[in-house]
Amino acid sequence: MAGAAGLLARSLAAAAGRTLPVLAGISLLVFLIVHAIPGDPAVIAAGLEAGPETVERIRRDLGLDRPLPVQFASFVTRALQGDLGISIRTGLPVAQEIADRLPFTLLLAAAGAVVATVTGLSAGLLAAVFRNRWVDHLVMSLTLVAVSTPSYWLALMLMLTFSLQLGLLPSIGIGTPAHFILPIATLGLQSAGLVGRMTRATLLDVLKEDYVRTARANGVPAARVLWRHALPNALVPITAVIGLRFGGLLAGTVLVESVFAIPGVGRMMVDAVLARDFPMVQGGVLVVASLYVVVNAVTDAMAGVLDPRVRA
Amino acid sequence: MGDDVTAVRAGAALVLAALAAACSGAPPSPGGLRDTLIFSAPADATTLDPHNTTDTESDQVIQMVFETLIGFDDDMRIVGRLAERWEVADDGVTWTFHLRPGVTFHDGTPFDADAVRRNFARVLDPDQRHKRFQLFEMIDRVEVVDPETVRLITAYPFGAFEPTMAHISAAIVSPAVAERFGAAFGTTAEATAGTGPYRVAAWRKDQEITLERVDDHWRGTPPTRRIIYRPIAENAARVMALEAGDVDVISRVPPPDMRRMEQAGHVTVLRTASIGAQQFRFNVTKPPFHDPRVRRAIAHAVDRRAIVDTLLAGFATPSTSALTPIMRGYANLGEIPYDLARARALLREAGYPNGFRTKIATTPRYPMGVELAEVLASQLKQIGIEAPIEVYDWGTMVQFWQGLPPEKNPQEIFIMGAGASTADADWGLRPIFQSAPTNENNYGYYSNAEFDRVIQAAMRETDADARQALYRRAQEIVYLEDPGAIWLFDNYYLVATRTAVEGVTPSALGTVTFTRATVRD
Repeated sequence: MAGAAGLLARSLAAAAGRTLPVLAGISLLVFLIVHAIPGDPAVIAAGLEAGPETVERIRRDLGLDRPLPVQFASFVTRALQGDLGISIRTGLPVAQEIADRLPFTLLLAAAGAVVATVTGLSAGLLAAVFRNRWVDHLVMSLTLVAVSTPSYWLALMLMLTFSLQLGLLPSIGIGTPAHFILPIATLGLQSAGLVGRMTRATLLDVLKEDYVRTARANGVPAARVLWRHALPNALVPITAVIGLRFGGLLAGTVLVESVFAIPGVGRMMVDAVLARDFPMVQGGVLVVASLYVVVNAVTDAMAGVLDPRVRA
Repeated sequence: MGDDVTAVRAGAALVLAALAAACSGAPPSPGGLRDTLIFSAPADATTLDPHNTTDTESDQVIQMVFETLIGFDDDMRIVGRLAERWEVADDGVTWTFHLRPGVTFHDGTPFDADAVRRNFARVLDPDQRHKRFQLFEMIDRVEVVDPETVRLITAYPFGAFEPTMAHISAAIVSPAVAERFGAAFGTTAEATAGTGPYRVAAWRKDQEITLERVDDHWRGTPPTRRIIYRPIAENAARVMALEAGDVDVISRVPPPDMRRMEQAGHVTVLRTASIGAQQFRFNVTKPPFHDPRVRRAIAHAVDRRAIVDTLLAGFATPSTSALTPIMRGYANLGEIPYDLARARALLREAGYPNGFRTKIATTPRYPMGVELAEVLASQLKQIGIEAPIEVYDWGTMVQFWQGLPPEKNPQEIFIMGAGASTADADWGLRPIFQSAPTNENNYGYYSNAEFDRVIQAAMRETDADARQALYRRAQEIVYLEDPGAIWLFDNYYLVATRTAVEGVTPSALGTVTFTRATVRD
């Protein structure tokens, strides 16, 4: 794999070319959706006791009295310069609000992805190697439970068990690294179930392939067949699943951040939608969508490295 | 990057704060007491600008950091704060406030009559779009007599002037800091300065607000050095954080959870009668609600005791008027009896012997909002009224409540939380029931000529007894004779603390004061 670095760079460049139209489309879609749903940010911001003059003044101030195409054009022009506008709810620049919160969300999603990958791959490997034996059945039952447990419930049960009853971990907040264990576990376990099931199925398929049979017939040791021949081939679809799951992890942070009181982008977006904080919703979706697109571009590029056929 | 500068500034402010605290020579906390109390509400403050606040979570912090000229004490009596004494002239419009000497804002700016003048110039300036502008519309001008005396002159004699001045939005902010930050005042820790017993040391959005006590404050030095506001959005998580001891005080817990915790005995539940009441309003322009008999029938069809005992676990009291007992001007008119025979008779009289079909709009933003609508629907069914429920999120709901003409408003019966933030009858009745062409505040288009006359007279009445008599009449009209709403119950404001916490005072206004709070180790 001598040219792997160059290959990766070229795949990434191609992905960037595809990314811009996607982001433009997402921006337009989000803009249209936030304006289509009922609810007026000026009315909400003014509060119930305010009068119509206050509401009008706020609306003018926010530029919401201008025609929609003008509002969208101004959003796009400013977004291209890195200016996402001012939050209606907090009065601070949206870019700054996101920058303050993004590290927490990224940490949760990335650590969640690591937990999902490590536990999922191990579980899948274990199940595939011991297929149809009790280990397989146990692991597969556990992954089924993991996939089907709602993360909201899981979060509260973990908190109840480890914070309230055992007193081992802090319940909410972000003061120390220990604070992140339960949120990351909540996020990671659900995806781990999916990755585990995917790994087992893919590995079992690969193990039926002719080249595996040939390798075995030639007397290659079983472990070497698994690690050198079967696993690398199985990794291609698994990588794609993990890339796609990243979107699910980002979405999952919304719940996890709310339950564990972590000041991330997910919770910010919930508050923003409820307050019809248009600039915050638009800016937040743009940033999260960009992240998702980038992560999938990277996994696509990695697929190219892992699988020579994709390069063509 | 601007963000880095802010971070560095915040860091510097923290270090300075720590140094200042270390050098101030304040005595260490007495043995066995913690120096920090952590309070958890469902949401972060949105602003710390008193002139621009409309939500309770912001008010929570603002009332610790800022002070008004006059304020409410624990029993909602009006007492001096930044003004030592005050009086109104015989003309009924000239109010003179004698200011407390030697007070400074947290940024070092001295508090004086000119600071008061600049504050009201700020909140009354229409160009600054402060959300609380309307509360103070009756103020005509502010005159500085001398540095310790200031005069506020109202455009007309206004009977509710004192409670209006005790409203948290009449708080005096540091004019120097306000002018330096302009519209950004109150959006960060550095852009916030008042005269209160605590100052804002740090504000990390959605994470925590740290207040540091002000030593030698004129009200005394508070026993707990630091108060931390840490929002936890999920009710269940907030309860667990309290039970695990990770936070000391929580608010806004559903009453059934409060009851469970109280019975378990490991937390203290504090309750106070509040200015808040829960009701459903009628759109009186939609037949058959134009007929007062129909509205009175519905009022008799509701079993308020059952609602309070089951849905609210007993943490509320059935309403006895259009205002709650803690409010100025309240008159006790008794609970509306649950009387199905009377309800059916009134419906028959109005020409609906078999009931009719309507709908109920609600929002989960109010505690138990959806459950209340369900119970109401099932109770109305007993008198033949079919009322399916429509559930909206808050942003959609308020859409129907802001300046719509009646023909554009599809709502018929809708949930509403009442609670005039001045704790006074004027703000509690006038904007929401006085006749108006649209429903900008009078959400149900209520209109009653006698009510209008009485409420206008009461607004300009400064004699306490005459004022009380007028408000009693107004409540008789809107609560009994020509009901503007289905009054259900008066809320308690509920707060739960760890048993190690003492001296926490929940206010009828829905905020908690920590100036006397202690946390035992």
